[in-house]
Amino acid sequence: MAGSTADPAVATSSALARRLLDIETSDRSSWLDRAACQAVIARGLPDTRGEPWKYTNVNRWYDVALATHDPAALGIEAPDDVLVVDFDDPRTRPLTAAHRGKAFDLEEHPLAAVNGLLLDAGMAIVVPDDWHGEAPVRISDDGPSYQHILLVVGRGASITLVEEACGFTHRIVEAVVEPGGQLRHLRRQRPTPRRECSLVAVHLDRDARYELAQSSRGAELRRNDVVVTLAGSGAQVTVNGAWRLIDREHLDTQVAVNHVAPQGFSRQTYRGVVADRARAVLNGRIHIAAGAKATDAALNTKNLLATDSAEVYAKPELEIFESDVQCSHGATVGTLDEEAVFYLRSRGLSDKAARALLVDGFLREAIADDEGAARLEVVA
Amino acid sequence: MSLLEVRDLHVNVDDKPILKGLDLTVEAGEVHAVMGPNGSGKSTLANVLAGRPGYDIDVGSITLDDEDLTAATPDERAHRGLFLAFQYPIEIPGVSNMEFLKAAVDAHAVHTGLSEPSAVDFIKRARATAEQLHLSADFLKRGVNEGFSGGEKKRNEILQMLLLEPRLAVLDETDSGLDIDALQVVAEGINAFRAGDNAIVLVTHYQRLLNYVVPDHVHVLIDGRIARSGDHTLAHTLEDEGYGWLDG
Repeated sequence: MAGSTADPAVATSSALARRLLDIETSDRSSWLDRAACQAVIARGLPDTRGEPWKYTNVNRWYDVALATHDPAALGIEAPDDVLVVDFDDPRTRPLTAAHRGKAFDLEEHPLAAVNGLLLDAGMAIVVPDDWHGEAPVRISDDGPSYQHILLVVGRGASITLVEEACGFTHRIVEAVVEPGGQLRHLRRQRPTPRRECSLVAVHLDRDARYELAQSSRGAELRRNDVVVTLAGSGAQVTVNGAWRLIDREHLDTQVAVNHVAPQGFSRQTYRGVVADRARAVLNGRIHIAAGAKATDAALNTKNLLATDSAEVYAKPELEIFESDVQCSHGATVGTLDEEAVFYLRSRGLSDKAARALLVDGFLREAIADDEGAARLEVVA
Repeated sequence: MSLLEVRDLHVNVDDKPILKGLDLTVEAGEVHAVMGPNGSGKSTLANVLAGRPGYDIDVGSITLDDEDLTAATPDERAHRGLFLAFQYPIEIPGVSNMEFLKAAVDAHAVHTGLSEPSAVDFIKRARATAEQLHLSADFLKRGVNEGFSGGEKKRNEILQMLLLEPRLAVLDETDSGLDIDALQVVAEGINAFRAGDNAIVLVTHYQRLLNYVVPDHVHVLIDGRIARSGDHTLAHTLEDEGYGWLDG
């Protein structure tokens, strides 16, 4: 043990954990706060020795986790009839208490415990049963350091969430989609010199649907955890992600799709372009529990390396405990097809224009322009 | 001044000599067919004209409209009016055929000093040209060549040729893999393009396309050189007698 305490990585996370637990606890009344404390006490905070944080030096996030504290307001716009309230609002307190923390496990997402203990803004968004409308809910970027947004999509309701996911230290977007509900989530991340982590956690009831289109530019450190649980039978999920990194940017995307009920359907598609000395990590897990019969799950990731010094770590992970399933995965890392470059140049496009068009097309295999692919443009 | 002049062309691919002193002169308004057995260098000629990387010109020159293109990049050649219909057109998922065609036409407009066509005008023209080639409007929305049949890919090459209106169109085995109906549609497209101010080089293994597009000159390529040239009747002789009688 003497050896490990000398390790600066351990020292950093321990210091943060101690400081977290020293914070005044008198008003830590909610289940999540107590659970978060327990999780930090029981497990400590992660470091780079653990598999989930192997490629992201989380100590560099701990450096900012307590240092930068911004209490700015959280910007949420919602259509009429969609309720947006503070976690403590008496109208929604029972609902918040029932659902907050339902879509993720603190043991697996320890930074969510940090978020829970340092929370600046906790907002609940409630979409009534059978609500349908064109107008989306919008969550703006920037705002306070620690944010937790809980979205409850009522039975048979259908809504789009447009999220600018940038400018925080840690943000949780948690969604509970009740039976037959549908949530379309457009998530866009602009480039930033900051170090940011986030968790998207979704719980799907029977016949509920969730569609995520996440387009990400890089950051000094950007970590996106996504966990979707198909808890009711016949739930459907599509997770699409596209990213484009330059310079020394770092993006670590960890997605887990958990099939726990029968007849679930999931598709994951990722396309990434990584240049210069940037680093992209994609870990895509499909977990199919015993009893999740007739599950249909697939994951596909393709990555383009624009330079020899860029790094991509792409890993599909399958955990299947049920035999009556269809499950497929594919992962590739490569470079632009020079035949295709020649084809476009033979039609009069410059070398640069040809490569730009091919990259755009590649990213659009995961994310359409109107979902955010157009924002992935890198101005050379 | 000839439209195309190829002089004493020696080309190596992977350090192996493929073309060994090829001469070819094409005048405006002409259609030339280049035939020959497998491995004679037909496709190499088509690709080296378009400037494909990896095709090294050892000796010789390529001149289009009196401009030396020997060292020009593929896009510079395209701007000067050279077009290659690919033997194996490339699939580009995620880029719609319409977007690709517009990008190509715009690139040409920029280099000829003309303004880019408006999106509406271009879409109208692309749809009308596609219809001429019996391609549905839906075909323009799909990814470039993505999931196209062999015949659709070849017709898409002809579509590009008709929209780009090159000075010189080099068609590399555009007839291969086509059924008889598709062959006729492609031939109609080529004949519609044929005009007094442009020229076509048809690279083909078989004579059958030449029943529909009658060439002014036929050349037989053997072992990297033109072994025989003649009028369109030479193609019929080759069809009847094969290439063996020219070998030595």
